[in-house]
Amino acid sequence: MQHAKTGFLLKTALRRDWLKIVLWLLGVVGLMAGAAGKFDTLYGSPKAMATIIETLKTPAMVSLLGPFTAKAPYTVANVYAAEMMVFMGLFVAMMNSYFAVHTTRAEEDTGVAELIRAHAVGRSASLTAASLELVILNLITAVLAALGLQAAGMTGADAAGNWLFGLGLGAFGLMFGAFTLLFAQVADSARGTTLLSYSWLGLLFIARMVTDVTDPKLTWWTIYGWIEKLAIYDQNTWWPVLLMLALTALVGGLALRLGTQRDLGAGLLPQRAGRRTASPFLRGPLGLVARLERTSTIIWLIALLILGATYGSIFGTAGDLMSSNPTMAKLIGTTGVRLANRAIVLAFANKLTVIFVILATIPGLITLFRLNRDEARGSLELVHAKSVSRLRLYASVTGFGLVIALAGLALAIWGMQLAGGAAMGPDALSLSRYMRGFWGYAPALIVTFGVSAVLVGALQRWQSVAWALPAYGFFSLYLGSLLDFPDWAKQLTPYGWVNDVPLKAVDWGQAGWMTALGLGLLVLGYLAYARRDLREN
Amino acid sequence: MTEPIVVIEHLQKHFGKFQALKDITMTVNAGEVFGFIGPNGAGKSTTIRTLLGILKKSGGSATIFGQDVWHEAVAIHKRLAYVPGDVTLWPNLSGGEAIDLFLRLNDQAHSPRTDALIAKFDLDVRKKARTYSKGNRQKVALIAALSTDADLYIFDEPTSGLDPLMEEVFQQEVLGLKAAGKSVLLSSHILSEVERMCDRIAIIREGTIIETGTLDAMRQLSRTQIRVTTQQPLDAIAALPAVHSFKATGTKATFAVDSEALGDVMRALTPLGITALQSTPPTLEDLFLRYYNQEGGADDATR
Ligand SMILES: Nc1ncnc2c1ncn2[C@@H]1O[C@H](COP(=O)(O)OP(=O)(O)O)[C@@H](O)[C@H]1O
Ligand SMILES: [Mg+2]
Repeated sequence: MQHAKTGFLLKTALRRDWLKIVLWLLGVVGLMAGAAGKFDTLYGSPKAMATIIETLKTPAMVSLLGPFTAKAPYTVANVYAAEMMVFMGLFVAMMNSYFAVHTTRAEEDTGVAELIRAHAVGRSASLTAASLELVILNLITAVLAALGLQAAGMTGADAAGNWLFGLGLGAFGLMFGAFTLLFAQVADSARGTTLLSYSWLGLLFIARMVTDVTDPKLTWWTIYGWIEKLAIYDQNTWWPVLLMLALTALVGGLALRLGTQRDLGAGLLPQRAGRRTASPFLRGPLGLVARLERTSTIIWLIALLILGATYGSIFGTAGDLMSSNPTMAKLIGTTGVRLANRAIVLAFANKLTVIFVILATIPGLITLFRLNRDEARGSLELVHAKSVSRLRLYASVTGFGLVIALAGLALAIWGMQLAGGAAMGPDALSLSRYMRGFWGYAPALIVTFGVSAVLVGALQRWQSVAWALPAYGFFSLYLGSLLDFPDWAKQLTPYGWVNDVPLKAVDWGQAGWMTALGLGLLVLGYLAYARRDLREN
Repeated sequence: MTEPIVVIEHLQKHFGKFQALKDITMTVNAGEVFGFIGPNGAGKSTTIRTLLGILKKSGGSATIFGQDVWHEAVAIHKRLAYVPGDVTLWPNLSGGEAIDLFLRLNDQAHSPRTDALIAKFDLDVRKKARTYSKGNRQKVALIAALSTDADLYIFDEPTSGLDPLMEEVFQQEVLGLKAAGKSVLLSSHILSEVERMCDRIAIIREGTIIETGTLDAMRQLSRTQIRVTTQQPLDAIAALPAVHSFKATGTKATFAVDSEALGDVMRALTPLGITALQSTPPTLEDLFLRYYNQEGGADDATR
């Protein structure tokens, strides 16, 4: 009886989610097959091959993409696996977290789950249906990814490797789906669940990065690293897939067990009693946003600082030409090596700053979108009825979002400089040098913010479209140069307009007009917001 | 006493093609409790949200304290308190935090009156809003509004979700506001509530105000139910123009009389030898149903 009507709920869920599933699958499979189709032309020549393999073996690239472990003679497929595995893992983990939250806690928060539970439906039916939906989702992902790779037919790719890639990715995604289902039992809301899942994913990713650079054996302990151990197109090791599935079963089973023991709408973490009266800071709309975003802001800021520091800590190894390319080092002499080392670090810092600015954009946009989310949910209705002007409300929300986003970027850069300085010893670079990245990329962040604010003001139904800017920005700048994207494709997002700071000097003229553009868009967003209906409920 | 506080004239509101408000005209005067009644979907909440500057009107005019509700919203809101019909709070704020926030957003502070109201409504303010029932969320908004020192109070079906005990507390508080000379606009579908508290009422149906006035005046416009037993047959009565829905079994009859013609009908009844007489004045419910059935029936017929 615990599972009564599971099948029915599953069917309903699939009917509800099919469009979202199709869009995610198009993203995942399209990316994999598309890239695979291009790799032969990118790395067809022995020269291009030699260069890319040298690049992939540098600590900087290992930290971003995972280690290059294949044995010579190398094939294009080896390069593909090294470049894509860790990145695609991140992609499917996020996809699974999204669906796991969406089918469980999000339903509880809106009250739909209560309506369902009141019918002749088993206690575990909802959660079982959600788990099955994830299984189906990942199975389709796995099969389509493998078929896509088969169709692309890269040099050096064989059926065994293609299926291992597909199924490995499916198992990896399912594992993170199971983690999210577990967090959904522990946290007390969809938001809390997402926060826990992403913190966990971020933690494992950072752990993977550190162990990959320092001691790849330790990567076994990071769970995330299992995906690297598949050695696709090389030794094709299958048993880490079984390891992932075993952990999935364990974690998923635990989630199901806990799910039957908690109250609907509540988490296992105890509810603390709240305050009897409000703190003196909870005065106006700004105090309200700060109070509502308090926990997640603190987590984001600390996470960005740690991320920056972790990457900075490998600058010593990354900027060591002597060990990564001794021939070259001998050729250019001691001063030359020092300069080259600094250039390598700064070029790496450029890539990292792009990642930082895009990550920092996320909490900013989440805050900004609260303006519409809370309006639609109705919780702002009482604020709208107070003597608070729309300008004050809008300025408070956008202002707070923008400031925490910029603070996040600055903190990540600062962390990078601190740890980088310690790791590089006498060759350490000054903070102002790294801060070129801040002055260069902050305007891009402001433009993204402005575009999003216009959507919030004028097209509230479409505000989620704004996520495309950071999402595509991340993809095009993280992988774009490896996939040989044309310039226009990299310039589709404001992040792609910026020059290679901190390696290059800040282009103040560009920074100026981009900032002006972003602020202009923010004003435009306000003008639209001030003129429209506020749609409560 | 008849200084107008809220003045609405031919107010209209479209949502795309759908016309939610077609013609709203009404006035709330200083010191009165004004009832705003109508069935679900009639446009009560839409009218109120337009009054609050949350929605932008499509036509007509609306002012509060003589100021335009859209352009002067902030100034108006300084002197106004509002309770929506469906209160949504932020799940991780406690009830106490929410109450203080709502007070401070209007530059007011937590006062002894706030504490008194919290006690009266019996609300555990330390609980997070996530755990509140609909009634408890309603209480948060009611406590915040009632402890706000305002000139105009707007309540949109405020007692939905409250138990009868709390409903009683609410009614006492509103009567208190009235005694203090405040103006109140109360939208409701609980007719006994309106009947007890309101000086004047407006009835809204499908986006149009179909009747405004005091309850007494409306009763005048309506019919009184008569149940009578006489010694002689009642046939002559049935023929009177002021008599409606006449049903007789022998010398017993029930019928409705236009209230203004009550005297004439009584004079016609007396010669027949009345042995029993029972008259029931129209309740608000009768009025309400009459307006709806009548107009609704006509509407259905034309569709
Ligand atoms: N934002 C909106 N968009 C479209 N239609 C709306 C919107 N808000 C209300 N309506 C419609 O306007 C009508 C009046 O609604 P409402 O004012 O909430 O009624 P009441 O409060 O009297 O029950 C309803 O038919 C409702 O569906
Ligand atoms: Mg309503």
